[in-house]
Amino acid sequence: MAGPILEAQSITKRYPGVVALRDVSFQLQAGEVHALCGENGAGKSTLIKVLGGVLPHDSYTGQLACDGKPVRFESIRDAEAAGIAVIHQELALVDEMTVAENVFLGNEPSRFGFVQHERMHVETQKVLERFKLEIDPTVRVGELGMGQKQLVEIARALAKHARILILDEPTSALSDKEVRALLAIIQELRAAGVSSIYISHKLDEVFQLADRITVLRDGQSVFTAPSRETDTSSIVQHMVGRRVDELFPPRRGSLGDVLLSVRGLSVAPRAGEAPRLRDISFEVRGGQVLGIGGLMGAGRSELLMHLFGCYGARLAGEVRFRGQPLPENDPAGNVRAGMVLVTEDRKRYGLSLDAGVGFNLSLSALRELSRNGFIDGERELQENRRMMESMSIKAASLEVKVGTLSGGNQQKVVLGRALMTEPKVVLLDEPTRGIDIGAKSEIYALVRGLTEQGLAVVLVSSELPELIGLADRILMLCEGQLGGSFDAREVTQAELLSAAMSKSRVTVSAGEHG
Amino acid sequence: MDKRIALRDFSLLIALVLIGAFFYTGDARFLSARNLAQLGIELSATAVLSLGMLLVILPGHIDLSVGSGVGLIGGVAAVLVSNHDWSAPPALLVTAVLSLLIYTGMGWIIMKERVPAFIITLGGLLVFKGVHWLVIQNETVAVAPGNQENLYSLLTTFYLPNALSTALAAGTIAVLGLAMLRGHRQRATRGFASDSELVFLRWFLSSQVIGLFVLVMSQYKGVPLAALILGVVALLVHVLLQQTRLGRYLYAVGGNEQAALVAGVPVNRVVIGAFALMGVIVALAGYLQTAFAGSSTTTTGQLMELDAIAACVIGGTSLKGGQGTVVGVLFGALIMAMLLNGMTLLAVSPEQKFIARGLVLALAVWMDVRLSQSKTA
Repeated sequence: MAGPILEAQSITKRYPGVVALRDVSFQLQAGEVHALCGENGAGKSTLIKVLGGVLPHDSYTGQLACDGKPVRFESIRDAEAAGIAVIHQELALVDEMTVAENVFLGNEPSRFGFVQHERMHVETQKVLERFKLEIDPTVRVGELGMGQKQLVEIARALAKHARILILDEPTSALSDKEVRALLAIIQELRAAGVSSIYISHKLDEVFQLADRITVLRDGQSVFTAPSRETDTSSIVQHMVGRRVDELFPPRRGSLGDVLLSVRGLSVAPRAGEAPRLRDISFEVRGGQVLGIGGLMGAGRSELLMHLFGCYGARLAGEVRFRGQPLPENDPAGNVRAGMVLVTEDRKRYGLSLDAGVGFNLSLSALRELSRNGFIDGERELQENRRMMESMSIKAASLEVKVGTLSGGNQQKVVLGRALMTEPKVVLLDEPTRGIDIGAKSEIYALVRGLTEQGLAVVLVSSELPELIGLADRILMLCEGQLGGSFDAREVTQAELLSAAMSKSRVTVSAGEHG
Repeated sequence: MDKRIALRDFSLLIALVLIGAFFYTGDARFLSARNLAQLGIELSATAVLSLGMLLVILPGHIDLSVGSGVGLIGGVAAVLVSNHDWSAPPALLVTAVLSLLIYTGMGWIIMKERVPAFIITLGGLLVFKGVHWLVIQNETVAVAPGNQENLYSLLTTFYLPNALSTALAAGTIAVLGLAMLRGHRQRATRGFASDSELVFLRWFLSSQVIGLFVLVMSQYKGVPLAALILGVVALLVHVLLQQTRLGRYLYAVGGNEQAALVAGVPVNRVVIGAFALMGVIVALAGYLQTAFAGSSTTTTGQLMELDAIAACVIGGTSLKGGQGTVVGVLFGALIMAMLLNGMTLLAVSPEQKFIARGLVLALAVWMDVRLSQSKTA
């Protein structure tokens, strides 16, 4: 094999109070898929920012080289000119534009200054066909699901003739079918000489795809090996620096009273539209974790958001919280009553990214922390410190901007903010999406701790092992309706999956395979 | 890095000194006690309005109607006093409540009906202007009938006795010093970064400014009541933003509205509350501005909304919301007021005044963007 197509030598990057990368060296060979693993805050995102030109050359120490020649990236454009394209975890698509316009955003084919729409559509169509996915290039991106959006993002990089793709958690929001299609295309691209740096917490994907694996821990590169010569448990061990013996803590404690009950709930996105959720009933008791699963688009998130009061119009049914009817569309009232929501979309619903850690942590609990409208600064500080410690949030101080923290630490701030209100019911929407095994097990332990204190947890997850390991009862949603209700101790993944798929869906997918 | 932060901290002050020096060399009367008293009164209306604008911009909204609102409320109060023989206190009280209701209503439409603030308040700008002209019937309506004095006219013609203003200044400096010292000690014991020299320098400079202001004013007629009103409003808004839940919520809504909603912040009530406070502040600014002119005319309050927005932006308030401070806005308002006052003194033509103010606004924001970029890099 020839020399490395992309090489980083002794990269060190400091943020105020934190060393994000410490003397990290990294090589990518031509035609290689090199996986990058590590816990949240291990420095993966920072390394990507260095390689992708997001961080200008002078903001860190160390050297970059392409094809053996030293390069200086002052901006993303410089990196793109060198053939490097980064596909970020949080998508950067314009919802109001069509797929083709997004693919060619900033790069529009034009003649005499006029955009050539037809050519744009045809070229986009070509790229999309390589994904074997039927997305109309003329459709608005806002109308696509999360999974399809991710593919548009990748198509955009390919349309720029990138020869090095950096994929940051590309499959965390994709369905199984989409994941398979994506892995196939990455392999196809490798055959065509396009190298990839692949960041994922899903180690099965990593081993399926990668030629080599590098593990980062605490800003240092601790392990690099060809994937044939290593295995999952040794990677995990390198990631956490210790053995993860049991991911899911055992169930303990007994069930309390019914805290949340839902009867015959039907919800439409807006009044007068067709229902998105139909005839859903369940109840959750204190000390219980209710898992909610289903395929993408089954209405899981919508159900949680509606219960919390920030989605849709109720067509029928009743929601009772501790025996009292729960008002619609009153999130502030729900928080006061003792129900909190932790959403999966941190950027949109999560945090004030420009504000400090402390500002975000205490936001929900300010009512308890103030007297006659005046905030008790001393108590606020104590509570913030206590929460920062008990959630083990890694930040230099309470005043650090939340936006500068790693994804896992941001998620802990969102959780900490919710828990500071001392809630009775916690609604969790994909709490472990895009975070690593170490942080996952911390969150699992936290959820167990909550139920032991008598709280009720409603957990939406797309990972079946997570539902089975953590929940007491599991509801599967299927196209907005209940597909089945199971005791988590007796159910298998196959049973859950078949409940998630309606008859019509099964025939469609069978038809595709045949 | 330290030097750069210090430079940015005091950049508005430096700009202020430069502008002052420029006008002083142009005409030494600029720093005379008489002109500074004049400047203080001129400033009070714009600065009070700018503080209201801060409350609306922080949660990410805007209010274009306030200039017309100032004209309308000041005009209605003048008509009640001059044409309907009301005494000033009830006239001011009734119109303040009227303003509170109007602005609360606009806030309600913006949040409950989801019409953008830009549009609603643009409508307000036109409607209030029309109603204002109807109310005063396109005439000049004095704030006090005949050449008498009343509470309304005294707002900008009354000066505090020197003994009282000296006592107030000494008290303010002492309280300011204690508050800053306490804040610094607390931060230090909590292990937060707090530069004691910077804290002292801030206190020293503010004490100098306050002391000098009172001293110079005493050489004319004393501290203008309007300046005291501005000081009280600034203090109240500062405490509201820094110490109360509503203030914290204003920043949270501007920082990320969806996140604030999910966190349990009553977003609608917070924003409507900001507009309600804006209503009271519009009334106050209306009285000050109208009293300053002595009467309500068709041009009272004209373009004041732009001065208020400019003061916020020059003072470092983010138009996207979530960022801004009272001190910054006061500096911004002072810069805009000084420009206008100085150019009037130098007999600059109105055309050139507009151009100069526009250029200063653009320049100030450009410099701020540059400085904050080099700070983060």
